[in-house]
Amino acid sequence: MRRYILHRLVQLVPILLGVTLLTFAMMRLASGDAVDALYENLGAAVSQEVLDAKRAELGLDQPFFVQYFTWLWGVVRGDMGVSYVSGQRVFETFAAKLPNTLLLTVSSVLLTAAVSIPLGILSAVRHNRAADYVIRFLSFIGNSLPNFFVSLLLLLVFAVKLEWLPVISTGGGMSGLLLPTLTLTIAMAAKYTRQVRSTVLEELEKEYVTGARARGVRESVILYASVLKASMLTILTLLALSVGSLLGGTAIVESIFLFDGVGKLAVDAITMRDYPIIQAYVMWMAIIYVLVNLCTDLLYRRLDPRVRLGEEG
Amino acid sequence: MGTIRKRPLEGTSLRLTLCAGLVGLILLTAVFAPLLTPWDPYAQDMSAALQAPSAAHLLGTDAYGRDVLSRVIVGARTSVFSSLTLVAVICAGGSFLGVLCGWLGGRADAVIMRLSDLFLAFPGMVFAIAVAGLIGGGMVNAVIALAAISWPKYTRLARGQTLAVKSAPYVTAAVMANNTALQIIFRHILPNIAGPLLVTAALDIGTMMMELAGLSFLNLGAQPPTAEWGSMMSKGRSMIQTSPWVVLGPGIAIFLTVLAFNLLGDALRDYLDPKRRGARAE
Amino acid sequence: MKKRWISLLCLAVMLLSLLTGCGGAPAEDGDGKVFRYGTTAYGPAMSNAGLNPHENYSGWSCVRYGVGETLFRFTETMELEPWLATDYAWLDDVTVRIGLRQGVTFSSGRTLDGQAVKECLEHLVAVHDRAPGDLKIQSIQAEENAVVITCSEPNPALLNYLSDPYGAIIDMDYGVTEDRNVAGTGPFVACEIADDHVYLEKNPNYWGGEVALDRVEVTAITDGDTLTMALQSGQIDAVQGLPYASLPLFTDDPGYTVSSADTSRVFFGAFNYEIPALQDLRVRQAIAMAIDKEGFTKTLLNGNGTPAAGPFPESFSFGSGTVTAPGYDPEEARDLLAQAGWTDTDGDGYVDRNGEMLTIRWLTYPGRMELPLLAEAAQATLKDIGVKVEVNSTANSADILESGAWDVYVSAFVAAPTGDGAYFFTTHCLSDSAKNRGGYFNEELEVLAARLRGTFDPEERAALVTEMSQTILDDGAFFFASYLKMNFVMKSSVTGLTAHPSDYYEITARLDKTA
Repeated sequence: MRRYILHRLVQLVPILLGVTLLTFAMMRLASGDAVDALYENLGAAVSQEVLDAKRAELGLDQPFFVQYFTWLWGVVRGDMGVSYVSGQRVFETFAAKLPNTLLLTVSSVLLTAAVSIPLGILSAVRHNRAADYVIRFLSFIGNSLPNFFVSLLLLLVFAVKLEWLPVISTGGGMSGLLLPTLTLTIAMAAKYTRQVRSTVLEELEKEYVTGARARGVRESVILYASVLKASMLTILTLLALSVGSLLGGTAIVESIFLFDGVGKLAVDAITMRDYPIIQAYVMWMAIIYVLVNLCTDLLYRRLDPRVRLGEEG
Repeated sequence: MGTIRKRPLEGTSLRLTLCAGLVGLILLTAVFAPLLTPWDPYAQDMSAALQAPSAAHLLGTDAYGRDVLSRVIVGARTSVFSSLTLVAVICAGGSFLGVLCGWLGGRADAVIMRLSDLFLAFPGMVFAIAVAGLIGGGMVNAVIALAAISWPKYTRLARGQTLAVKSAPYVTAAVMANNTALQIIFRHILPNIAGPLLVTAALDIGTMMMELAGLSFLNLGAQPPTAEWGSMMSKGRSMIQTSPWVVLGPGIAIFLTVLAFNLLGDALRDYLDPKRRGARAE
Repeated sequence: MKKRWISLLCLAVMLLSLLTGCGGAPAEDGDGKVFRYGTTAYGPAMSNAGLNPHENYSGWSCVRYGVGETLFRFTETMELEPWLATDYAWLDDVTVRIGLRQGVTFSSGRTLDGQAVKECLEHLVAVHDRAPGDLKIQSIQAEENAVVITCSEPNPALLNYLSDPYGAIIDMDYGVTEDRNVAGTGPFVACEIADDHVYLEKNPNYWGGEVALDRVEVTAITDGDTLTMALQSGQIDAVQGLPYASLPLFTDDPGYTVSSADTSRVFFGAFNYEIPALQDLRVRQAIAMAIDKEGFTKTLLNGNGTPAAGPFPESFSFGSGTVTAPGYDPEEARDLLAQAGWTDTDGDGYVDRNGEMLTIRWLTYPGRMELPLLAEAAQATLKDIGVKVEVNSTANSADILESGAWDVYVSAFVAAPTGDGAYFFTTHCLSDSAKNRGGYFNEELEVLAARLRGTFDPEERAALVTEMSQTILDDGAFFFASYLKMNFVMKSSVTGLTAHPSDYYEITARLDKTA
């Protein structure tokens, strides 16, 4: 087991190299560099000398591979560099935004699980009855509203009309976390409720359920002891994917609710072509995915002993 | 193998037909959109900007004085077709790879999974913006960017499902009966894992519409003046308090489409259910 | 099973403690008069986070939020008036002596004198990217209450450039702190600086008199709708950068007031002279005539813009009123196209010539929300005269500019950030201009520009600038659509927050709010 985990962690290295090189190449090809973004977007005009001097200062006049390896060498020595735009250290900038993102991820995944698993089961057990229809209808609505629109509606209703919550929550605290969590949960719960429903329905039709029923095992025991456990596989796969993307931040929700996390940082960095920040972000995403996937695979194994871990000898 | 619930098969077929009809209706609207619009969806009339719904403009007019209803109808083309194409491509391609991984295991599995890791690990936003920078913005490129980063979801799902059914007795039996790998995959594995995949795909129509809307929020989606539901919503969102009809029109259109595709997905799931198919065969 | 519950419980407790644990320090009611201000214009994406005027555009934040002050400031008509300076005199073409105000102290306690100004400006030209090229400073001599600045070449616009926010005078002994704070001379002193907010307290020793407010909280709100709702909910007192679509919510409400001013940020298009069809003056004029500036500003910008003629707004002495540009006239535009040989021969609604359609690739970018609106509006009005417009609104416009695959490039530009009329021409219209994308060239204009470089008299300069503006308009090289009208929307209890054409001055000592 330990060897397996170690093996998976070692695989992180090529992935990290792959994504960072790919990002480097793509951002270069996409043209317009940090210096352009710095001056063009602000509508200012500066002389070519200033542009050239800035490029030289940031090392952007170097050949592609020189730039990449300079950056890589820095990372190897534990130096992620300095943001082109703010001049702040990349690591510190990034670390400052992470707690918010982590908090939002944890809260919305927990809430999503808390909402979608019971509702999904209820919907499956009450298949094609009133409760099922209501739950499904709600999930359709949740599934057809863009994030930015849900955010706006929630703000409009809870902050402007009812005045229960503040629009801006600079002080942090529960009230500031509530609306962004709700926004993310609505979309995810809508999806997962249906997924849970479908998986449980499927399980309920398996032979072992029929067998258990025939043996007179109570319906609730079948549901919780067998069906739910078996359905966990699908649910876990999906939740893991969500955790991964949530940890990458949600730029739109973050900027609407002023919930400063890594998503907004990343989008700002991309628009400003702030390579060091983009690279840090891409690395962070890669690490998350590898870890989340590893955890999922280990959980698979735990939940369903029939699944064999890929590379385990 | 008998059905557990007593649901006549005709019911499932009927439901499937109804839902398919509903989806067909939406597709027909998309195809014949130019013939159905009461106004020219691109004709601006500044003097008629932001009018509330009336007999002349059933869904009102937008900031440029264009008829919202006409734009919603024409927008069906861009929105429905692009999200359909997107989901079809990633679902088919992704699932195929996933089944392959689950079935073959070993080196092929490792390589494909690492590749999917690479793409999953690659932030979609970076990719979308880079693609827009390389080949320009616009709907087609937005679809390409999303497809390139969304397929691994299906691969992972299909792989997980395949692993789960791989050790099922009927698969073991099929292996022992000297069936070829392709036979086993198409006869025994795919039917058994199609349910979750199809439900995911049906739901994804809505999700992908949202993703495309998100991209137009970041100005990477449809270019003006193209009518597209997601960008209509993102451009009109500031008017929600002053002229709500501007967002309501495309919002309702998205909802109805998502509803239709989801119902179809459900009906399809029931129809494809291996248990009931088995029952039908016997 | 039990263990799992316990760990879940632990997680919940940890989460709760996290929630209650993090708390910045926004003001409570007991802190005196607090003014809360929401803005779209602060943050790393604007390159102006922090208050260090010697870095990027952070000087804007330094001056806007009342921390730093420059030697001269701009009046409502963009003319210079003394601020930290009291007077100036040109000793010769390259030397100017600037007298300094007495009795001014930095928030660090140091007194403002010639030495302090010298240190600050020397540091500025040593580290800043744009300042050295603008100021062309060769040496600075400090006197007790004055500085004598020598330039490396005649620089008539020196004082204008010194009034750019990067010229904010700060105490170099105090330097720049880790969190990008500085010691200025303004009415407010920053007590907390982050990428998304700046908290300020009043400067009790302000030289300009009593400061009305005790505390100012500037919050960066990038999303326009959040900004709108924060003002509606009463959480903030005033905002900058409200989306046009939200304005009607406040203009009709007596609970709010709006202050607006035309800035010299102009939305304009440049034609690509490499394109054969556009080398015909008549075609360029026709396109310029087919743009409905009135309709654009009135309807799409909800009145938040002023139709433009030339590069500079009316309030300038060399502004729009002094030049003539073709107005919106589809009839005349169609005539001009016909004269140039472009008519609709195949009846498809678009003009053509020798079997070729007149298609305009309209390149713009979405960074300024007005630009895509203008593109779409122009698309419709140009269609009326039979010209097909393909809009390409992309953040990577720089790339496409380079490739040459465009016909009209429409952008936003602050034509005279320091009230200096030469700036727009040196950046956009001359053969060696960095932003002369379309390859426009006029010998006469080059001569005028050379004369402007050696002219110090303000009136003569204004006359030259007017002549240059008229030249580029007569050449049809550019069309100017509108000027940005910047506005502050505030609760009606707020006083002393006035929009300024320079966009530099926001929070001042006069700013106050009644209970």
